[in-house]
Amino acid sequence: MIDKSLNWLDDRLGFAKGGRTFLDKIFPDHWSFMLGEIALYSFVILLGTGVFLSLYFVPSGHEIVYHGSYVPLRGQHVSEAYASTVGLSFDVRSGLLMRQAHHWAADIFLGAIAVHMARVFFTGAFRKPREFNWIVGTLMLILGIVNGFLGYSLPDDLVSGTGIRIAFSIIESIPVVGSYLGFFLFGGNYPGSGIIIPRFFTIHVLIVPAIIVGLLAAHLGLLVKQKHTQFPGKGKTEHNVVGSPMFPTFIAKTTGFLFVSAAVTFLLGGFAQINPIWQFGQYEPYQISYAVQPDWYMGWLDGALRIMPSWEWVGWGHTLPLEVFLPAVIFPGLIFNILIVWPFIESIYTKDHEYHNLLDRPRDRPKRTAAGASMLTLLFAVFFASSTDVMANFFQVPLIDVLWFFRFFVPLAPIAAYFLTLKICQEMRAAEGIGKRKHALVVERSTTGEYTTTASPVRPGDEHEELEAIPVPTFIDTTDPELATAAGVRRVIR
Amino acid sequence: MTETPRRSVKSRLAAPAALVGAVAIFGLVAFSSGPASADTTTTTTGPTPTPYGVGSSGNGAAGTTGSTVPGAQPGTVQQTPTAISAVPSPAAAAKANAPANETGIYYTELPSSFIAPGQALFAANCSSCHGAEANGKAGVAPNLQGLGAGTVDFWVSTGRMPLANTSVQAARKPPRFNRIQTLEIAAWVQSLTPGQGTKVPVVHTAGADLENGNTLFTLNCAACHTISGAGDALAEGAYAPGLHLASPTQVVEAIRSGPGNMPRFAPGNITNTEARDIAAYVTGVLQHPNNSGGVGLGGIGPVGEGFVGLLLGVGILMLFCFWIGDRS
Repeated sequence: MIDKSLNWLDDRLGFAKGGRTFLDKIFPDHWSFMLGEIALYSFVILLGTGVFLSLYFVPSGHEIVYHGSYVPLRGQHVSEAYASTVGLSFDVRSGLLMRQAHHWAADIFLGAIAVHMARVFFTGAFRKPREFNWIVGTLMLILGIVNGFLGYSLPDDLVSGTGIRIAFSIIESIPVVGSYLGFFLFGGNYPGSGIIIPRFFTIHVLIVPAIIVGLLAAHLGLLVKQKHTQFPGKGKTEHNVVGSPMFPTFIAKTTGFLFVSAAVTFLLGGFAQINPIWQFGQYEPYQISYAVQPDWYMGWLDGALRIMPSWEWVGWGHTLPLEVFLPAVIFPGLIFNILIVWPFIESIYTKDHEYHNLLDRPRDRPKRTAAGASMLTLLFAVFFASSTDVMANFFQVPLIDVLWFFRFFVPLAPIAAYFLTLKICQEMRAAEGIGKRKHALVVERSTTGEYTTTASPVRPGDEHEELEAIPVPTFIDTTDPELATAAGVRRVIR
Repeated sequence: MTETPRRSVKSRLAAPAALVGAVAIFGLVAFSSGPASADTTTTTTGPTPTPYGVGSSGNGAAGTTGSTVPGAQPGTVQQTPTAISAVPSPAAAAKANAPANETGIYYTELPSSFIAPGQALFAANCSSCHGAEANGKAGVAPNLQGLGAGTVDFWVSTGRMPLANTSVQAARKPPRFNRIQTLEIAAWVQSLTPGQGTKVPVVHTAGADLENGNTLFTLNCAACHTISGAGDALAEGAYAPGLHLASPTQVVEAIRSGPGNMPRFAPGNITNTEARDIAAYVTGVLQHPNNSGGVGLGGIGPVGEGFVGLLLGVGILMLFCFWIGDRS
């Protein structure tokens, strides 16, 4: 019966051939190759919980009187967006769980992207022929950050409203077109004509997710087309892929991982409070709470804004607010552009235009690893600078001292990190026997009390060195007893 | 190489993974900001115990007079309207000043019998800086004359005075004196300039308008004390203290006297009713927040959330990757 209907479909759609390729796709088995899956499954959770939230959220800045079940807010004039989000939290069954899981999933989504990106960067997986996929991934990161900010702003609470206010000022700081752009987006001068919530809603639930889904399809399509990279090792070459096939091994593993991701996200959603907007109250432009930070993935932008000295340039009747424009427009622009063009910078610098399917060990590319460590240090330094006030309060040191510390730490730490990493990589490469089989050492004490250390003799069967590659097979070989020892491992030619 | 060693590695990893999970859950609980109110619908303020009220002072005299001393539990005050000791009865004062009582706040005159012991306490504990006549010493300590009993009560009852060190800002700490001693000192300082300055308020938070308190707190207080009342660092080493230990009396005294960098709000800015509503919101809602949705993560917003999201969320998932993936 199933056969028959599948045949009927195949006769008309011809999916059997593609399906066969798909089911036979080989996934090299390494834990770091699953980091991207965290992001993928977080996105799935985001879509699912987001649909639930959109059924109850009212995207409107229209002012109403709150009559819900949270007592301290009763009788206050709030926007429909805020009232419906508080309602989602208290008056909709499982609404708070869904809202918190959505928020945690967003935090995890961007965190997983960052970790996945670091893996791709440090192992050189972005090299030819995979530059496009690196760019697609970077674009998804940018869109994820943008959409996270928009979603964070939708409840119209006091804390997120402060973020919108900052965003407006950042747009305004762009020379010449800034004011026009800001007025265009907000429908007038800040706070605009009440259209910002519905506009953000449309962008958040429709436009950006649609683009991300498209990019995701391209990302995975390229992955299938170009096949997966793999670490060098026994039997693994530039011309083959060694790993588990999509069906049945990998599909079981990855489906299980989907459930694990969902479990972790919903456990956090159920047990760890995030963004309790009922405690913050409705956003009013004339009100503010101190100790306001954005979500973590915006933290590096906030930190850059905080530590920037208050410079501005005045001329020809115009003011260029460098204290906003440099850290909030130029700085992220530079970071994202460097990320996007990095594969090309590197291939120009190394004059390496070959195909690469085998991954690098980070220590074998000291300069790239040092550059990546330097970039990460920079981002983490400005990230921590976004909590200057919390640090000052926690460690009981004056806020101004924390600020000045970061003004020096942010530019200097990346330089130190570069040379430190470079040195570590070079030392590791120079060290003998790294990655090789270790031999037991025998320590002996002589009658005069002197200690001597000698290597023990090699045990029988341990003569080979770990990383020596065996000759490259030129055919699909599942019968070779030496190559297919582990159950379910298969290799195909690229 | 073969199946057997790989499997044993995985089983060996199970124990550390379980350990990390346990630590993670412990950390999550440790992050909690305190008692979570399970009820989402009723956040009204019942009589809230004041941390430094009479009941906890441990003084024998306080035990007999406690119920009538300003700053005691408002519920207790209402239960025992008849005064036993020399302290004036709030019920009698309420009759004398009926319109004021409708606001939930009235300002009490401290009994003259407090003045003499207050002077002795002041001479022994405060005069070395503030001077024997409480008129201050240039460059050392401010003149206290004219500030009123309420101001003195705030500084002493929150433990800020006697000063621990001469840093930028006096820090809250367990008070040196019990409730009666504190009021005795306040009575003596007040007696130097009768009728001037902030008096000691008696605050009834029962029946306060929490919605109004919420609005006023957001408008006037959150800009420094933060919307959750957690407090935060200000410029030049000063900071807005957290409000999680403040009693209703202390909140009103701070509003009326403006300690340190805090602005002083006169009744023209914030009426007695409004001050009572703010005190009720601080002691009722902020000190017992509605932490629906799990542990409160310290009320410091996205900083704590980011740590949890990255370390617990992404971290645990990475451990799972490490568990089910190959590691060679």
